Amino acid sequence: MRKVIGVIGAGIFVVALGFAGWTLLGRDPMSFAGGSTVALQDYQGGAITGVPTELASADLVKRGEYLTHAADCQACHTAPNNAPFAGGFAFNMPFGTIYSTNITPDKQTGIGHYTDAQFLAVVHRGIRADGEKLYPAMPYTSYSSMTDEDALAIKAYLFTLAPVHAPAKQNQLSWPYNQRGLLALWDVVFNPDERFRPNTGQSKQWNRGAYLAESMGHCGECHTPRNLAYALDNHRKFSGALTAGWRAYNITADKNSGIGDWSDEDVYLYLSTGHANGHGGAAGPMGEAADDSLSYLLPDDVHALVTYLRSIPAQASDLPRTVTVPAPASYKEGPVATFDSRGEKIFAGACASCHDWTGVSQVNGYATLTGVRAVNDPSATNVAQTVINGVNRKTAEGKIFMPAFGEGYSDDDIATVANYVTARFGAKGAQLTGGDVANLRKQSAQQPKSQETPNG
Amino acid sequence: MLTLIINGQSRQVDAPEDMPLLWVLRDHLNLVGTKYGCGIAQCGVCTVHVGGKPVRSCQLAVGDVGTRAVVTIEGIGNTPNGAKVQQAWIEGAVPQCGYCQAGQIMSATALLDSNPHPDDSDIDAAMAGNLCRCGTYIRIRRAIKDAAVRSA
Repeated sequence: MRKVIGVIGAGIFVVALGFAGWTLLGRDPMSFAGGSTVALQDYQGGAITGVPTELASADLVKRGEYLTHAADCQACHTAPNNAPFAGGFAFNMPFGTIYSTNITPDKQTGIGHYTDAQFLAVVHRGIRADGEKLYPAMPYTSYSSMTDEDALAIKAYLFTLAPVHAPAKQNQLSWPYNQRGLLALWDVVFNPDERFRPNTGQSKQWNRGAYLAESMGHCGECHTPRNLAYALDNHRKFSGALTAGWRAYNITADKNSGIGDWSDEDVYLYLSTGHANGHGGAAGPMGEAADDSLSYLLPDDVHALVTYLRSIPAQASDLPRTVTVPAPASYKEGPVATFDSRGEKIFAGACASCHDWTGVSQVNGYATLTGVRAVNDPSATNVAQTVINGVNRKTAEGKIFMPAFGEGYSDDDIATVANYVTARFGAKGAQLTGGDVANLRKQSAQQPKSQETPNG
Repeated sequence: MLTLIINGQSRQVDAPEDMPLLWVLRDHLNLVGTKYGCGIAQCGVCTVHVGGKPVRSCQLAVGDVGTRAVVTIEGIGNTPNGAKVQQAWIEGAVPQCGYCQAGQIMSATALLDSNPHPDDSDIDAAMAGNLCRCGTYIRIRRAIKDAAVRSA
């Protein structure tokens, strides 16, 4: 009997060890590239970290500003219609709500009293100045590969901001998630706490792109699915995930469900402007990433990101191939016969004047629905979110605006128009219900709504 | 300096490229027949034709017009369907307060341009984005049908 228990015990141990190993392998976001890596100081291929050469001689604060944009601190550390970097943005998670904190240099409520060592501890290891653990909503597992020099440049920039007195909002988490101490265990498994290691088998440009994507821009925090422990599962790197009620799409090289069919130029444009003709424009969190972060990157850095993205192995996900053919000019034609006519009526009244019955906008390329991933996503998640929240982006080309319909239309209305839009212009019509839309509203509760009168 | 083709004429405009076409029409070219309503493409009163299609001019940046010809309410009477629609509008005494009617006439004319004999549901699909707070919808529908059977 004892022997049997021993064998079973050993079996469980081996399985657990195997699982732990498999999980740990999923931890390194760059393991897909294979080859060997070296410590940064031993790398002979040129400068990978820091600012681009154009800014090399700029002062510390200027460099820190560039890197702060690259790391996109602002998007999460700013609540809608509030002071930038003053925190208060809500992360609505399945297990409760976490609020971002004030990272202006206010001494009482911000980070004004942080020493360099304390700042590095929070960026690399998620440990606050008072010793408490941060939740990994702060992407310190990504930032842990940022160099000390770059992190301290960011600190130098943040310390030039006007201090804002904004006390932290109380997180609302259920047990056991409210036990911050448990995160120390989580960190042992999921935070390598190791600085960026260039890959000697890859080009300098690839390595720069990797540093920008992984250590700074933390793309995977939205685009990589999470495992049961809510850590990134890099076995399915960049194959898409649901974050804050929006879908971050598959950005692997898969031709159907990823961006394998996009030209390099389209990827470049999408990253640098949040829009590429024929692929639509970024909205929601990706719109913020474009406007607050990616649009500030200098061209060489965006090209580096493109090079790195292109190297991500293709992973098929549940998304169908994007339909790139416009819908017929007449509302009577097209694959919408089986859908609720209410969706068509709402589209006629509220949408057709800009988006057209063909899906190809007369107004501008940002409003074209044909070829857009969100419209070709049969879950219609981002279509519904865009209808609810609208779009209000400030780009180099001017304001990109769509009204927020969330206040004026019921959950059922929004579900039915999202179903209609995906059926008419996309690969497969969605089957959203009013309940689904109510749920999406809750998850994105803090998305800034687009203003009512952009031209007033 | 931008060059626009408006109602068949070439017009030079000194306006920023991201200015909505409606502002250019009203404030720069004094074509004030086109009205400002909601400013978010939800009421239809600012409708003009751009490249033959009805477009909400409050949302169209003037820099995006390009070489497409613009027709406004001031010029629509010089087009065959525009003339028929205006005549039907007069005979049917369609307007009440009139504020939305320039937009209604532009959308109705675009409808007849693409569909010479629209039925009720065609009219609904084409005109649903043009609001009329006086509720002249029944007269609008009748006038569109009148215009459709009118000889040019």
